[in-house]
Amino acid sequence: MDSSNDEALDIIITNVVATFRTRCHLNLRTIALEGTNVIYKPEVGKVLMKLRKPMITASIWSSGKIICTGATSEDEAKLGARRLARCLQKLGFKVRFSAFKVVNVLAVCSMPFAVNLINFTKNNRPIASYEPELHPAATYRIKNLKATIQVFSTGSLTVTGPNVQNVATAVEQVYPLLFECQKPRCK
Amino acid sequence: MSSRVCRTCGGSDIDVDQARGSAVCTSCGSVLEDNIIVSEVQFVEGSGGVSSAVGQFVSADGPVKAPLLGSGFHTSVGKESRAQTLQNGKRQIQQLGSQLQLNQHCLDTAFNFFKLVVSKHLTRGRKTEHVIAACLYLVCRTEGTPHMLLDLSDLLQVNVYILGKTFLLLARELCINAPAIDPCLYIPRFAHMLEFGAKTHEVSMTALRLVQRMKRDWMHTGRRPSGLCGAALLVAARMHKFRRSVKDVIGVVKVCQTTLRKRLTEFEDTPTSQLTIDEFMRVDLEQECDPPSFTAAQHKAKMQQLEQELAKKLDEVEGEISCYKDEIETELEKSRPKLRGIYAAYTKEVDPEDNAEVLSMPSEPEEVESEDVELQAATHHLTEDFLCQVIQEEEVRGMKGDPVAEPEKESMGPHRQAASLTSILGKLPSTASLSLQQTFQTSDTSESGEKDLGDHPQSEELDLEGIDDQEIDKYILNEKEVQVKTELWMKQNAEYLKEQKEKQERINKEKEEGTYKEKKKKKSKKRDQIEALTAGEAIERMLEKKKISSKINYDVLRDLNRGTGSPTRSPDHTPDTTVARKRLNRRRRRKTSDSNQDLAANTSIMGKRFRHLISSTPKKKKTAHQVERTVTVVTETETPAETESNPPLDSAAETSPTLPTAPSPMEEEEEEEEEEECVSALQLVGDYGCDADEEEIF
Repeated sequence: MDSSNDEALDIIITNVVATFRTRCHLNLRTIALEGTNVIYKPEVGKVLMKLRKPMITASIWSSGKIICTGATSEDEAKLGARRLARCLQKLGFKVRFSAFKVVNVLAVCSMPFAVNLINFTKNNRPIASYEPELHPAATYRIKNLKATIQVFSTGSLTVTGPNVQNVATAVEQVYPLLFECQKPRCK
Repeated sequence: MSSRVCRTCGGSDIDVDQARGSAVCTSCGSVLEDNIIVSEVQFVEGSGGVSSAVGQFVSADGPVKAPLLGSGFHTSVGKESRAQTLQNGKRQIQQLGSQLQLNQHCLDTAFNFFKLVVSKHLTRGRKTEHVIAACLYLVCRTEGTPHMLLDLSDLLQVNVYILGKTFLLLARELCINAPAIDPCLYIPRFAHMLEFGAKTHEVSMTALRLVQRMKRDWMHTGRRPSGLCGAALLVAARMHKFRRSVKDVIGVVKVCQTTLRKRLTEFEDTPTSQLTIDEFMRVDLEQECDPPSFTAAQHKAKMQQLEQELAKKLDEVEGEISCYKDEIETELEKSRPKLRGIYAAYTKEVDPEDNAEVLSMPSEPEEVESEDVELQAATHHLTEDFLCQVIQEEEVRGMKGDPVAEPEKESMGPHRQAASLTSILGKLPSTASLSLQQTFQTSDTSESGEKDLGDHPQSEELDLEGIDDQEIDKYILNEKEVQVKTELWMKQNAEYLKEQKEKQERINKEKEEGTYKEKKKKKSKKRDQIEALTAGEAIERMLEKKKISSKINYDVLRDLNRGTGSPTRSPDHTPDTTVARKRLNRRRRRKTSDSNQDLAANTSIMGKRFRHLISSTPKKKKTAHQVERTVTVVTETETPAETESNPPLDSAAETSPTLPTAPSPMEEEEEEEEEEECVSALQLVGDYGCDADEEEIF
């Protein structure tokens, strides 16, 4: 299914969330006291560590599970995660890099036309749902891809999925449906 | 009753006797049925003389299979609770629906939705309130009533988004496609609330036209319908010369001022706003508009483009300006008088000095000593250079012929840094560095071994490719900084640390005592400390909270403890006393006591006490000693009260036979009373508690 007609649609990935495990117990206090760019939250029980090179924020738990957010691509997420593990290694923990998994990818895309949300929802019930009282966008959930697309009336889309491939496929899937319900441009 | 045919003779005249439960053929006399199952309703007399029907309600949509006892035990219990849940739900729906003024048909539909929801187990983990609100809102949407989710959330005082979440989930699970909200639905309702009097209908009509126009101008997608209605109504009101301020409208419509103003300005931007009132009512413009956010985005894009162009132009202009600047300067220099002789030498000297300052690393180690001071001053603020300089000093002192200190300017920087790194680590041998060295080696070996960039869980060693170690070192503070940070952190989180310490101490203490329970997270009813000056006050307050009985005269109780020689009065209320005696009797069996005392005085005292207790208003004063016992005694009395199946009338009837027996147990009680007044007074209260309960039942 080729989505683009003349112009290619730019799908910009804005956020990639990944998790991995260090397979060893981490002493949060040590990390908090010996690291730069760390925020210690003892009530919740985690440490937030921010890296600069890939702009990444990581939540570190004492069990050794780490969630890495803020990367702009899957590779960057992995690089950032490895850097983080290296940093923890240098602090003295026997860190092992295991179970790295990209959990969530958030991407933004813009259609060159505006979309009539009411028609779009009508044609695609019950996959699509639109509640103007709650949220200005119509939500379209693709079950087999496990992706969620939020369509705004201006034609911009927000897509979330488990990996980048799914996100691209989701956009391709939804494009023809949106094209049908596009709002004819005027002025 | 269908008349059946006799099997033996074929006759259809069959006599069914309900009393005997048999069906007999009258022609041949053969018994067709014995022990007929009667399907009549039976009644049973319950406590209090109330007769109730025997049996349970079996709902049509309950479990089809007959519940088996044992394996299917939970189904039978679950079914009962299911019926209860549905009943409860129905009640709540009725309550909420009546507040929203929904008609019975809507409420029934809502109840059907609720039944569906319960059968799909969607109520688990959700508050029944939320589920019910969602069901009602579903009905509102399908029926098209002018109710907003906001109304429901107002009634329940729940966040509208939480309700929305539940509503969306239910709609999805029940596959109910609720039609989209049309702002036109709300207009009559809001118009009515704004009180336009006789002209309400006209104003609504105008407002409707306005809303339709807005729809065509694409102002309504993605917006709350109530906001649009508010704007439309405001304009319509003004058109019909009604004075409705923005505040009135937002009070009715439930949006904020900013939103309303924004809608009005958006409407202003459309060409329709240019028409006069009459024109608007007659003419409908063909032209449609783009949605306002779309135009806003386009506007932004345009502005950005313009800015870019401007910036480009600026650059060009700047370029030209700099050209002119250079030319002017060269001209000026030419015209400037030149220094000759000694002064020329001075101007030249400036350069090598500058260079020396600019170069952070000296080209030769021999120059180190001489330029040490200069270096210190010039590069003090650069940490790396500072470190390198420190290293240099060391090297100069220690190792003169260090091959690293080669006079190579280009490689100087990184070499020095590498040297500084290892020497720093050499200077401060910490576990970190040791393990670091180890991990370095291990990671090196593993790196060479496995070049797995994929996510195979087998390679758990950290792949160091592409990781700049030095950069990562910047993320780790050195010792001094760690100290500072530790201090700061301790100061900041002093409270939290204190709490943790106290908690730990508490746990340790309890461990010693052996009463330590893991995870004492049970939120038992808060028993805040009762502060009182005297014991009597304490009891008073406790009883206020405990609410044992409102009919006890606590004054008397208080007096009981203090004075034993209280004047006697004639005993009244023999049934009560005997009843109380009966209670006492029962408890007598539990508490062993034997004492003999003068009966008359005691009975009179008892009687007086009872009368006191019954007649006067309650005052809650008791000794602290009695407090605890009261509690336990009361609880004990509850059980006898509950187990008692016979109504008090019976006990009253039995008073006469018990009367003769009463004195003997009375004796014992009296004795105990005299000896341990606290206990007996307690019993009294406890008994009286029972008594009072009974009276309350009446």
